[in-house]
Amino acid sequence: MSKPRKHHSLPDVTRPNLLEDIFPYDLPPRIRFDGPVVEYIDGKPAQFDFASVATRDIVITDTTFRDGQQSLPPYTVDQMVKIYDLLSRLGGPHGVVRQTEFFLYTKNDRLALDKCRELGHKYPECTGWIRAVKGDFRLVKEVGLKETGMLTSCSDYHIFHKLKFRSHKECMDSYCEVVQAAFDAGVRPRCHLEDVTRADIDLFVLPFVDRLMEMSEQVPEDLAAKVRLCDTMGFGVSYPGAELPRSIPKLIYRLNKEIGVPSSRLEWHGHNDFHKVHVNGATAWLYGCDALNSTLFGFGERTGNPPLEGAVMEYIALKGGLCGIDTLAITELADYMRSIGLPIPGNYPFAGHAFNVTRAGIHAGGLRQDERIYNIFDTEKLLGRPPRVAITDKSGADGVVHWVNDFFGLRDEDRINKIKVHKLARWVIDQYEVDGRLTAISDQELAAKAKEFFPDYWAKYKANA
Amino acid sequence: MATVEERVKAVTARVLRFDPKDIQPESSFTEDLGAESVQSIELVAMFEEEFGIEMDEDAALSVTTVGGAVEFITNVCKAQGVAVEE
Repeated sequence: MSKPRKHHSLPDVTRPNLLEDIFPYDLPPRIRFDGPVVEYIDGKPAQFDFASVATRDIVITDTTFRDGQQSLPPYTVDQMVKIYDLLSRLGGPHGVVRQTEFFLYTKNDRLALDKCRELGHKYPECTGWIRAVKGDFRLVKEVGLKETGMLTSCSDYHIFHKLKFRSHKECMDSYCEVVQAAFDAGVRPRCHLEDVTRADIDLFVLPFVDRLMEMSEQVPEDLAAKVRLCDTMGFGVSYPGAELPRSIPKLIYRLNKEIGVPSSRLEWHGHNDFHKVHVNGATAWLYGCDALNSTLFGFGERTGNPPLEGAVMEYIALKGGLCGIDTLAITELADYMRSIGLPIPGNYPFAGHAFNVTRAGIHAGGLRQDERIYNIFDTEKLLGRPPRVAITDKSGADGVVHWVNDFFGLRDEDRINKIKVHKLARWVIDQYEVDGRLTAISDQELAAKAKEFFPDYWAKYKANA
Repeated sequence: MATVEERVKAVTARVLRFDPKDIQPESSFTEDLGAESVQSIELVAMFEEEFGIEMDEDAALSVTTVGGAVEFITNVCKAQGVAVEE
């Protein structure tokens, strides 16, 4: 016998339900939750309340100048100051982009830090990054930083094969000596658990973090050790039911609920080797990590880190508001990165030159009727980037008329209709059908044709320009 | 003066490269005469030019047959005060 099916009748709906409470258009679509999530840990159900993320002080931290620079030629001091300034604008007065970290090893590293701090921005706070070597605290103290990240690699690949410790105990004692040196120097240590998603959780990670918590009880709260979970090789997975050490939910649960590391002292740092980097970061937020470490446009070692601008959009989606974030700074940052020779792929979300450009005539037709049909949100308002069409043989008259109206800045009743662009549409088709063209038609070529076919509009356009 | 039907057929034949004799009132622009997307736009533009009228884009593009176009254009001409031979 088959299971009885639930019947769904079709009411005669005549008004569109655009779900604008979820898709407000003037903001990225909201991410809302309608109940708790249950994950089985050691065979017992553990409940997570994702909706609490709306009120938790989740933040974005930045490592553009540290991990980001490990994959690129070094930034100049002036470039770092410019980027820092824009990061501050992006994160807004409440410090959604809360911290950024600096190398401290070269004169240029330290000069860049000084110049960034001279701007006087409250956020992002500047922190350091050093090896787990006691002598390196001299650098942190010299530049007067309150917090520094330090490498505390925790997989046996690192402990035994890279760092050549003879035992977990020897390794942990060594790390804890450096943590104590940080406390003694009055600097908050942020322990970077390198390669945690490939580590022995029970026999190293939990005992080490347990000891960090004990040590932290002996110092003022503002010095207590933070823990950064570093998914160094991008092995972390977000799926409920996945096993440790790859399970992000279980890692965070163990540290947060079993060891008692507060969410405010937990941070996730991912890599994109398996295309999971952004969702893994957001997953860490949901399961109890308050800080999501990221880099601008995902620039970072090998395949990169969680893209900061993606985290910003996720933040807005989870919070349901801008919270002081200036999203237009994303476009300025992307333009700036390109201007200093750092390429951003054309189809890269939110920042690539073609992220909201359609080549399909049928999509262009939809855009012409209501841009919400094929635009993710009001990209003109939030990013200064209205949806556009690129013209190819697939664009059709719909694509051409969208391009013409966009080019001349014509809106509403001023827009030219399809009939009026027939000559340009014919020229486009002939490029492919008669001349055998195989490339997209550039804006410059189209502009030249627009001048020829629409002299009146061209004169107005030039006058306004 | 040629009738609306004769003028519609002449424009259609020129744009779609058909012999006017092969175009019938019941001919479908797309199915029988093979009009593609851009050619449909060109047809409407050429009808506007031929008759000296302006047509509503969506309404004009929803006309599917030659006979339908004759009727539609005749009505638009009347509405816009353009004299034509029916």
